[in-house]
Amino acid sequence: MLLIDLTINGLIIGLFYALMAIGLSLIFGILRIVNFAHGEFYMIGAYAYTLIALFFGISPWLTLPCAFIAGMALGWATERLLMRPLYSGYASWGVMKDEYAVIITFALSLLLINLVDKVIGPNGYRGPSLVATTRVEIGPFMASGHRLMAAGIALLVLIAVGLFVRYSYWGRQIQAVAQNRLGASLAGIDTAKASAIVFALSGGLAALAGALLSPIINATPDVGAFPAVKSYVIVVLGGMGSIPGAAVASLILGVLESFGAVYISYGYRDTFGLVILIMVLLFRPHGLFGERSREV
Amino acid sequence: MAVTFNDTRMRDRIQLVFSLGIFALVALLPAIVRNEYWQGVLIVSMYFAMLAAAWNLLAGYTGQFSLAPAAFGMIGAYVTGLLSYHFNAPPLVGIPAAVVVAAAIGFGLGRIVLRLRGPYLALTTLSFAEICRLVISNSIEITRGDLGLNVPGLFDHRLTWYYVMLGVLVVIQLGLYFLLRAPAGLYLRAIRDDEIAAASRGVKIVLWKTNAFTLSAAISGLAGALYGHFAQFVSPELGLLSQTGIIVSMVVIGGLATLPGPIGGAFLVYVASEFLRDFGGYQLIVFALLVIIFARFFREGLWGFFRRAIERTGRRPAPVPSAAE
Amino acid sequence: MACLSINSVSKFFGGHKALDDVTFSVNEGELVGLIGPNGSGKTTLLNILSGYLAADSGDVVLDGRPITGLRPEALARLGVLRMFQLTRVFPRMSVLDNLLVTGSALGLPEAEADGRARELIEDLTLTRMMHLDAGQLSGGQRKLLEFGSCFMVPPRIALLDEPFAAVHPTMKEIMAGVIRHRHAAGQTFLLVSHDMPVIVELCPRAICMNAGAVIADEKTRAVLTDPVVIEAYLGEAAA
Repeated sequence: MLLIDLTINGLIIGLFYALMAIGLSLIFGILRIVNFAHGEFYMIGAYAYTLIALFFGISPWLTLPCAFIAGMALGWATERLLMRPLYSGYASWGVMKDEYAVIITFALSLLLINLVDKVIGPNGYRGPSLVATTRVEIGPFMASGHRLMAAGIALLVLIAVGLFVRYSYWGRQIQAVAQNRLGASLAGIDTAKASAIVFALSGGLAALAGALLSPIINATPDVGAFPAVKSYVIVVLGGMGSIPGAAVASLILGVLESFGAVYISYGYRDTFGLVILIMVLLFRPHGLFGERSREV
Repeated sequence: MAVTFNDTRMRDRIQLVFSLGIFALVALLPAIVRNEYWQGVLIVSMYFAMLAAAWNLLAGYTGQFSLAPAAFGMIGAYVTGLLSYHFNAPPLVGIPAAVVVAAAIGFGLGRIVLRLRGPYLALTTLSFAEICRLVISNSIEITRGDLGLNVPGLFDHRLTWYYVMLGVLVVIQLGLYFLLRAPAGLYLRAIRDDEIAAASRGVKIVLWKTNAFTLSAAISGLAGALYGHFAQFVSPELGLLSQTGIIVSMVVIGGLATLPGPIGGAFLVYVASEFLRDFGGYQLIVFALLVIIFARFFREGLWGFFRRAIERTGRRPAPVPSAAE
Repeated sequence: MACLSINSVSKFFGGHKALDDVTFSVNEGELVGLIGPNGSGKTTLLNILSGYLAADSGDVVLDGRPITGLRPEALARLGVLRMFQLTRVFPRMSVLDNLLVTGSALGLPEAEADGRARELIEDLTLTRMMHLDAGQLSGGQRKLLEFGSCFMVPPRIALLDEPFAAVHPTMKEIMAGVIRHRHAAGQTFLLVSHDMPVIVELCPRAICMNAGAVIADEKTRAVLTDPVVIEAYLGEAAA
């Protein structure tokens, strides 16, 4: 029964990882960059959800969308203010666009972490549970009410995002831009707007993950570091830019970590992801689902 | 003769002169800065200057934006620390050993990431750096984990440390200058600018990329080892990602892919951070903000301002290709 | 005397056959034109010849020595130098340094490389830009620079991939002049181009490819009047 418990817990964690990773995957699909400040979107979500509920005494069900919106706003602002140099034609960083993205998002991450640390303080805040029930039993499996509710919400949101990208007007614009930026702009698609939407969506999803997990993992300035690294692992494993890939990889990582923590080592549990990341980057850099592109 | 940057040899020479100017200034500072604490701050700045110069070689000149510079500093510090802790090895053994081990690991990392670029390279080196730190942190029986290791000192007087570190820094900088003026410098820059084209022109990509990683790691390892003996203490905190963030800040603010940039940036950023410490620890916020602003608007960093100022004082403006062509 | 022999080279991209049993030789001192509609595999072939792609079958022999599988830099040092369809120069290095890189990489001592580079720059009429970063050059000037890189050290064979595409007539003339001059001195060329007048003027022999296969390989005039070639370019009606 431990196996079932571990598996289900792993899958639940995987759902939260998926919220983190899908946004990152979308960003990579559109802009071909990795956003090193992604963990901070998670962090902002955790803080928004927790602090608004705390200071205004509002039900967490209302602050949850607030967290989502905060993440979206941050994502949007990041793209509008900082990501222009990535569009072709910007002279200064020229061929080193990827490197520009690395530096600027890395610095943004540092900025946000320290800003929150200074303005709000280094102490953690425990997020309010969505549901009062602390223990729910489903057959042999046990979890807190909040965890189950959060997992449910995550699943719904993930499905919604999937539908959005697949079928909605903007979703299809985004797919077009991801496949061929130049072609898409020639076809009249506002690629800048698509990029902004993707960044906003990615920020919102990460913030949601942060909010949903804040009762379990307290909101602290650097709380975003771990989920961020996990999402990098997932995005690479699933193939950068592939949403189904990211989704599957999230679940796999969740389950792997769940088992690994128990059967291999608790102290090194965070290194599994890192080692997997390196292995994949070396041997299958296009991930399990990604595509090779022509270089010369 | 007008001072312009048309000639790359001239440009590199001017950058070297500028660096030496900074060194001369720093050499004279102890005449005014008598306070041992502030001398210590300058010494730590020199540690960062070495790490910054090493990262600049790899990222600015070879285009490999590794996120592991702090990790190599940590590795160097721990090699000498562990050798002295477990085997009572003297620093004169520990420090060279640190350089060799760091270089070897750098070589290994370089081989591993050969085919990776941009975000893939950043992610792999980031993972590598974190794994190094976690391993050191968790190997409590060997390294005492987060408690850190006490390391024996090397010199009795702070001023001796001051001039030794400065001397090493000068040697490193001169070495880098000659390397970059040599054909090797052309190869590294070519790899940075366009690896595919570089291969088609006969540049040995594998060899030079690996060399860049190895040399950068060696310099970082040396810096870490020296720092270890100066601070007489090493801990896994040396390898934190935020330390890499500081190093990157120093280079970007000072001027990426320039000789004086990392040096000037290191001194400026670290000394300023000490001043800001008195104002309540806003340093990282300020530096992160500066990096963002500089990267976004002033890619050449502070050096860019100097360069344009110097060019404006020259009598002949740089020739511009006519539109008709 | 065959300088470069391509023997039954095939290449697949997934299910798509990009090169179909391509076989021909370029003899020492020949200036061969390679023509064919877009997508016919010319650039893929060049990528295989210069080490950027591996052939799925067949082999390539340079001066009697098999070179399949060698890396681009090794091939460059054996004398296989190329231009890219989308011009590649080193944008943050000066025009002079752009040439010096290849000179040093191919074994020239510094002083000699410097002298040759300055001469080449002169021939290419880029003297005024010598110290400018290549990134500041116009598209045509970059092409000239890339073209010049092929001649710092006289190659065994120069693979030129559409050097005249979208280039100002003056520059075209400069490149054509260099090609003519060096060909007269014995340089071997494989010239990919859509510019028929130039092909006719420069190349005694032309090879035409279509859909990955060689469909004609004879004297240029004959190739251009070959109905198979005309059909490939213009469709059945025109043939």
